[in-house]
Amino acid sequence: MNFSARINAVLAVLLAALIALPLAVTSNFAYDILIRILLFAFIGTSWNLLGGYAKQFSLGHAAFFGLGAYTSSLLQINYGVSPWLGMLAGGVVAMLASLPIGWLCFRLRGPYFTIATIATAQVLMLVFLKFRDFAWGAEGTTMPNLGSAPLMMQFEGKAPYYYVALGLLLLSLVVTFYISRSRTGYYLLALGEDQDAAEAVGIDVPGEKRNIFMVSAFLTAMGGTFYVQYIYFIDPNTAFNFDVSIKAALVSIVGGVGTLFGPLIGTVLLETTAALLQSWLGNQAGVQVTVYALILMAIILWRPTGIMGFAKEFLLRKKLRATP
Amino acid sequence: MLETVTQAVINGLLIGGIYALVSIGVTLIFGVVKIVNFAQGEFVMIGMYITFFLATQLGMDPIVSLVVSMPVLFVIGLGVQHFLIRRVLGLNDLPQIFLTFALSLLILNVALMVLTPNYRTLHTSYSDAALHFGGFYVPVAKLIAFGVAMLLSAILWVFLHTTDLGRAMRAASQNRDVAQLMGINPHRVFAVALGIALALAGAAGSLLMPFYPAYPMVGQVFVLMAFVAVVLGTLGNVMGALVASLLMGIAESLGIQFIGADSGLIVVFLLLLITLAVKPSGLAA
Repeated sequence: MNFSARINAVLAVLLAALIALPLAVTSNFAYDILIRILLFAFIGTSWNLLGGYAKQFSLGHAAFFGLGAYTSSLLQINYGVSPWLGMLAGGVVAMLASLPIGWLCFRLRGPYFTIATIATAQVLMLVFLKFRDFAWGAEGTTMPNLGSAPLMMQFEGKAPYYYVALGLLLLSLVVTFYISRSRTGYYLLALGEDQDAAEAVGIDVPGEKRNIFMVSAFLTAMGGTFYVQYIYFIDPNTAFNFDVSIKAALVSIVGGVGTLFGPLIGTVLLETTAALLQSWLGNQAGVQVTVYALILMAIILWRPTGIMGFAKEFLLRKKLRATP
Repeated sequence: MLETVTQAVINGLLIGGIYALVSIGVTLIFGVVKIVNFAQGEFVMIGMYITFFLATQLGMDPIVSLVVSMPVLFVIGLGVQHFLIRRVLGLNDLPQIFLTFALSLLILNVALMVLTPNYRTLHTSYSDAALHFGGFYVPVAKLIAFGVAMLLSAILWVFLHTTDLGRAMRAASQNRDVAQLMGINPHRVFAVALGIALALAGAAGSLLMPFYPAYPMVGQVFVLMAFVAVVLGTLGNVMGALVASLLMGIAESLGIQFIGADSGLIVVFLLLLITLAVKPSGLAA
């Protein structure tokens, strides 16, 4: 078997294991961790399309997460629309919102693009906090509990939620896979390295950035819908939480930006660390993010290519040693 | 009506002086080192806690504690440059953005662990005092803060324009490579820029303490304000950042007065977004 066939075999086994995993998991705590890993890997993978390939480092993806969450919740509670449809509607809303947001933020480059994205997400949160009669204001609301209603994205037990999250993650991986192999993927890589040079060779830089921002926003919003359905609650602080923006970037950087599986690997590492810390030290404020920050710093100072970059280097070195 | 507006403008202008200290630091680092310091707000927080503990443990007046907080943060600035920022210079955006971002998360969360999320307030003899000018009300603590902030800004301006080191810093911010060719040692200049910027953040913290509570997340408000001011005032422009900060203080205060207590930040962010839409290069350009 050659190298890529071996990789494919490993991936197939992993996928089968992920599908079979609920047979082995019994505790709700373990399910909760698994679902969080899948969800944040999904959001990280969506962030990675814009941040990893096009190197536009957004710290405002909570804007789209929140828009997805609010769109489906408003549709469900006010009009009885199924969150499955609400999830798509939320994606469309986020995609449309990404147009003015991108139009504004892409005027700035590098770190100031990042800051502008933080500001837009904050503005959205403040708007939802402020206008009370529009969407429940600061108190938020709980989702109506319908018991077992798969058509309304409500299930008995945690296993179905696990499969929904797994489905989302697979969706984002497939989208990333196809984009990264397409012409667009190479355009994104080129403009991520040097926007001016990319423009000079005829790439429509503003257009490519706008399009990938729309895809990234759409997917992130789907995660928002899933999350509020999973926790049965929505308020501006949950939906537009800065932590969502941070985590989306963090898992990708730790795992390796601009790689297909980087965000997933980063999420597994960070969430496992968080769970271990929690069982070891309890819920002491600040411990978890302190450790995240140290991991992030270590990665930046020693391995800016993330775990994936490290793994690639390792495999390459092994290969070089193997060839005489 | 006019009186309400004037009062709101006074309040905004005074707090704008504090915003100016923070944003001048951010813009100085950006101008000279070409790095955005996401952790600037956390250094304000450190300044606040230094002042808080000096006042509660040793009974030192917050204004006097400037002589401690500024040098301590200057030294921290040298360390941040030497041990962290120096290692990512010349690399691409990712390490440059996320190194100081990680530093901000680290300081904030260590503070949460060590100092707890509790609010700490300091009550001085002048915390509640106020002057009255023809029906207008000017709180003394804020007036002192504003005065010292403007004095420090003026000292910085004189330093940048009259001393060799200051000129070297301005040269490095205009063109790093040419400055290096002229015999300017970039690492020395960068370290001093970081030191000064952090000292200003520390000063902001000390000056805030008589009328503002200290808590681990306190820096986030100020750093967001500073980012907006730095964009508004044209990136890297010290004078622009100063003027923009004062304007933002006023905008925030008017927003609070006329739209509602929780809308100050909305007004400021909208100001940023409008600037980006209309004149993305900032007001001073």
